[in-house]
Amino acid sequence: MAGVQANRLANGGLIDRLVSLNFRFDGKSFSGFQGDTLASALVANGVKLVGRSFKYHRPRGILTAGSEEPNALVELRSGARCEPNTKATTAELYEGLEAASQNRWPSLRHDLMAVNQLFAPIFVAGFYYKTFMWPAKFWEAIYEPAIRRAAGLGRAAGIADPDHYDKAWAHCDVLIAGSGPAGLAAALAAGRSGARVILCEEDFALGGRLLSDGGTIDGMPAAEWISRTLTELVALPDVRIMTRTTLFGVYDGGTYGALERVNDHLPSPPEHQVRQRLWRIVAKRCVVAAGAIERPIVFAGNDTPGVMMASAMRTYVARYAATPARRIALFTNNEDGWRTVETALGAGLQVAAVVDARPDVSPAHRSLASKGGFPVLNGSVSAVDGGKDGVSKISVSLTGGARAEVEADGLAVSGGWNPAVGLTSYHRGRPKWQDNIAAFVPDGAPPGMVAVGAANGAFTLGACLSQGFAAGAQAARDAGRSGKAGSVPVAADEAFSLTPLWHVAGKGKAFVDQQHDVTASDIELAQREGFESVEHLKRYTTLGMATDQGKTSNVAGLAIMAAVTGKSIPETGTTIYRPPYVPVAIGAFAGHHRDENFHATRLTPSHHWAAEQGAIFVDTGLWKRAQWYPRAGEKDWLESVTREVKAVRSGVGFCDVSTLGKIDVHGPDAGAFLDRVYINTFSNLAVGKARYGLMLREDGMVYDDGTTSRLAEEQYFLTTTTAKAGPVMQHLEFCRQVLFPELDVQLTSVSDQWAQFSIAGPKTRDLLREIVDPAEDLSNEGFPFMGAREVALRGGIKARLFRISFSGEMAFEISVPARHGDALVRNLMQAGAPFGVTPYGTEALSVMRIEKGHVAGPELSGTTTAADLGLGKMMSTKKDFVGRVMAGREALVAADRQVVVGIKPTDKASRLRSGAHVIPKSEIPGPGNDQGYVTSVCFSPTLDQWIGLGLVERGRERIGEIVHAHDPLRGEDYDVELCNPVFYDPDGGRQRG
Amino acid sequence: MAEFSWASRSPLEQALVTGVHGARGVEAGILLTEIRNFDLIQVMARRGKGAELAKAAKARFGMAAPDTPKAVQTKDATLIWSGPDQFLVLSKDGKYAMNTLAPAFSGLASLSDQSHARALISISGAKVRTMLAKLLSLDLHPAVFQVGAAAATSIDHTSVTLWRGADQTDGRAVFNLLVFATFAESLWHTTLDAGAEYGIDIRYSEELA
Amino acid sequence: MRIVCPFCGERELGEFTYLGDAKPQRPAADASEDAVYDYVYLRDNIAGVMSEHWYHGGGCRSWLKITRNTLTHEISTVEPAAGAGAAKVGA
Repeated sequence: MAGVQANRLANGGLIDRLVSLNFRFDGKSFSGFQGDTLASALVANGVKLVGRSFKYHRPRGILTAGSEEPNALVELRSGARCEPNTKATTAELYEGLEAASQNRWPSLRHDLMAVNQLFAPIFVAGFYYKTFMWPAKFWEAIYEPAIRRAAGLGRAAGIADPDHYDKAWAHCDVLIAGSGPAGLAAALAAGRSGARVILCEEDFALGGRLLSDGGTIDGMPAAEWISRTLTELVALPDVRIMTRTTLFGVYDGGTYGALERVNDHLPSPPEHQVRQRLWRIVAKRCVVAAGAIERPIVFAGNDTPGVMMASAMRTYVARYAATPARRIALFTNNEDGWRTVETALGAGLQVAAVVDARPDVSPAHRSLASKGGFPVLNGSVSAVDGGKDGVSKISVSLTGGARAEVEADGLAVSGGWNPAVGLTSYHRGRPKWQDNIAAFVPDGAPPGMVAVGAANGAFTLGACLSQGFAAGAQAARDAGRSGKAGSVPVAADEAFSLTPLWHVAGKGKAFVDQQHDVTASDIELAQREGFESVEHLKRYTTLGMATDQGKTSNVAGLAIMAAVTGKSIPETGTTIYRPPYVPVAIGAFAGHHRDENFHATRLTPSHHWAAEQGAIFVDTGLWKRAQWYPRAGEKDWLESVTREVKAVRSGVGFCDVSTLGKIDVHGPDAGAFLDRVYINTFSNLAVGKARYGLMLREDGMVYDDGTTSRLAEEQYFLTTTTAKAGPVMQHLEFCRQVLFPELDVQLTSVSDQWAQFSIAGPKTRDLLREIVDPAEDLSNEGFPFMGAREVALRGGIKARLFRISFSGEMAFEISVPARHGDALVRNLMQAGAPFGVTPYGTEALSVMRIEKGHVAGPELSGTTTAADLGLGKMMSTKKDFVGRVMAGREALVAADRQVVVGIKPTDKASRLRSGAHVIPKSEIPGPGNDQGYVTSVCFSPTLDQWIGLGLVERGRERIGEIVHAHDPLRGEDYDVELCNPVFYDPDGGRQRG
Repeated sequence: MAEFSWASRSPLEQALVTGVHGARGVEAGILLTEIRNFDLIQVMARRGKGAELAKAAKARFGMAAPDTPKAVQTKDATLIWSGPDQFLVLSKDGKYAMNTLAPAFSGLASLSDQSHARALISISGAKVRTMLAKLLSLDLHPAVFQVGAAAATSIDHTSVTLWRGADQTDGRAVFNLLVFATFAESLWHTTLDAGAEYGIDIRYSEELA
Repeated sequence: MRIVCPFCGERELGEFTYLGDAKPQRPAADASEDAVYDYVYLRDNIAGVMSEHWYHGGGCRSWLKITRNTLTHEISTVEPAAGAGAAKVGA
């Protein structure tokens, strides 16, 4: 057991004293209780110093008790699970919790970086821009690394997060953000009305401020009312209560983002469970009952450990039975701050003094003071004494000019409350100023959303309940639910009075944004230097740009700017509000989609067979494709690929080409339709024949290519490239539904229906005759080049055969229904064994298409025309088609365009690489004489040298010319010869034979 | 010369391991069953032939084919809406295959065999909606997505066809998913990851539910 | 964003693909190069209500014509393209 919890009250609090939890902070052991946060447990153990500040490394303590905390940020957990910048105020305590303070070296108490305070004059607003301007090259090498070491927040783990995250959708009628009195009342009204309700609460406990401030509702103590309300809500069939869930954003159409910290309250998630879950919630209506955030008053030394928001101080005392100080002082400008005094007195703490900035203090408070034996000082706190050990003395400027000093070890501060206007403002909403509470309140909200209670500027309990209830009932009605909401919970309204006070002038640093170390004088400096606009102020000083997004600092910053510019606060205005409301881990946004699940993958029908063969797979879009099939003893990929190519060219091989997009184009107008989407004509294609087709985009550039076969009068079977399968389908549907709706044609993707293999090589027929029914005529006459028809296979199934060739060899493509694909590949291996059948991968496929001069992805780059690819003659002049007119524009038919040409190094031993630039021989390479580039290369086993294709200016007129290949990326220069792109069998005898 | 075997192999044959996946101990929250070897024909009405096709379909199936996102159960097939002017005919043992359906709808519809293009997965169990909320963006509330409701939607940016079949005898809902065959293994793993925390009882069947 | 597909009902944005302005009409086959150039390249940059083509590729594969306010993202109408649901033409 770690030491006693010296600052734990003997009684009270919503903690479970039967469950003691051990934890470590900066290596030291402590204990707390179930129901504690890390912050409340530190408070209970008397730990005041929890971190060092961002720029000046000033000692900092806990300022708040919620997700608005700017100071108490820790590295939670260790190793791969280490999570920097975790707010101690929201981190739930668990057995074995480990946390470390941040931004200090070597230790929190003895931080050498605190010397930064001595250089404070240079760390003013804009210091990066002013100080590190020169010389420019010093920035990356010296300034930035040094700054990053000295200034900043926690350290990332640096290793992969071992935990899982996921995402889910939820749908409801009424979504409620916050479970304080307004949120619970809204849930009651909506739930009773029969609405589907989701109630999101950031905390692990429901009740909001009721948990700290109590009160009487419907004549019963708040705790009892919460408990009864929950019992009723849980019994309703369609009410879902989500604790540990922050609604962080609102998106178009009533879609909301929420982060559920499913297992952050445990050392690690239980097996099979996620750490966090990102919710996308679709709601017809949303009631924002997100509460308000108490705001500080800016004065010198206001960042001293022990200075705490008044509401936070009573949260620690009342909810956690933990005392942040023994003898407290209160500095307030409003009635609500006094509740902290009441709570402190009730818990037996000493009150040193109340400093109230208002001219009048109520008689009730006066009598409380006299009973409690502490003075009420009319004035403001002008300075705080105390360093890393916390507050010791408070200096007060009394109204009228006199000074007073108060001995205390804790200072509670209340400057009033700011409604949490984030969610209501995320659609570029600008909150409006409300004078009586001196705060911005929502001015409208995204469609379907309404703010209630403190989030709407209604700070009293009675108003929270009635607003929440009314909004919940209305939201249910708006969603079409007509049940009875019943009676509204009733409570009295507390007294309210506030005199705005933002900044107390004085000597010493007075912090506005404690997380980013932005002081009141930084804001004044920004104004002097012309950064008056709030958006400029924000970026120049970094006010409100830290992980807390200025929840405790933005309004004070605006108020100070307003004061120095002589404008009002509403005239000064607010910056744009943007989600997320609290930081959301990238892991939560990624959810399941990381590592091998980054995207869905597609497997070919022969995938598992190929894996059995030891194939090496390559990612091609979403597909895993066999790239080559290594054999024992082969020293590298090139040896395997070369073997595969030679085997095909001399015997027979096969390759899974199921990845090609396949589309059934059916209907009476199928031919007419294809005529409009391809540059060449398909309506005159004979049944039983295939034809190569080329599609353009409407701008005249080549879009895609592939073969299309006519299987029956009204049935075409179209293929696309692997890469464009999806986009071409979308394009064809656009043509069908939008451009040519008068055509009677139907389209369906059948990509997954067919397992398709290319079988190539001079022994292709020998192999096919083994598996195709002997009655089928596979002879050159019976099944000529570009034939396409259904055939029977031995053993009873039907297949489609297409006599097409990508390799330049005698070849067929065979397709069978996909569930037979595995059998087909095994049968091909068995039947082909006598012929040395060789499976080949995409690499060999690519080698053979380059040898044959076929264009593929690198040439179909979106910048090439049909003519550039040498296919200009295919463009029909007798019909209209997509891209026809633009393809004829001047620049697209210019004589000096870069066109496809073959390229080979003059030195047969030299390697050719894609991306090398083509420069005229003997010229010095430069942008002025760049004539194109190498697009595709391979080592050609057939030619026994590296060859390639390129896009070269006037390339086809320059066959035989020696040019220069310039490759500055790899530092290579060599001569190459421009040649016929068809390196292999240029007259095509082999594929027709 | 040998005859060849053309054994049919499900796209999930490798990935599907029968038994319990994920959390154990209590009753599995998810029951995941792959249905193998079915016939699936896509029927797409031709331009202006919607009404005539509806008549022919009713004659052929004994029931009207759905023209809104629904699935209807005939005595020997399930007709599932798959988009405007189109539906899928799901059956077994060649009851409705290309060679029999094509003549019946000649001139009225374009037919496309999708029997091998999809894997069919039936999902049920106490946690079925909780798990499906991780995969599907649709609202599957019992009152919203009722028995017979169907949807063309996506999982992992991949098109799927979803419909709610008849409830089990214990009253629990059954959701059926047709997924593209080449994506099936990937989506299967995604489904297992989504359901692991509830425990998944994995099976396969040759019978349509 | 949510889009109410006329065939499928309300769906989330991720099921849809945006193409762009639905106003330009593909010129007839005998149109001038200028007319086609205009169709392919020239677009109004509308701040306000605009007619757009969207594709429900993650659902029923229908092309839709959507009237949307580019300032508020509010969608006022969703109609099928002329050729989506064409089986009912003339019925």
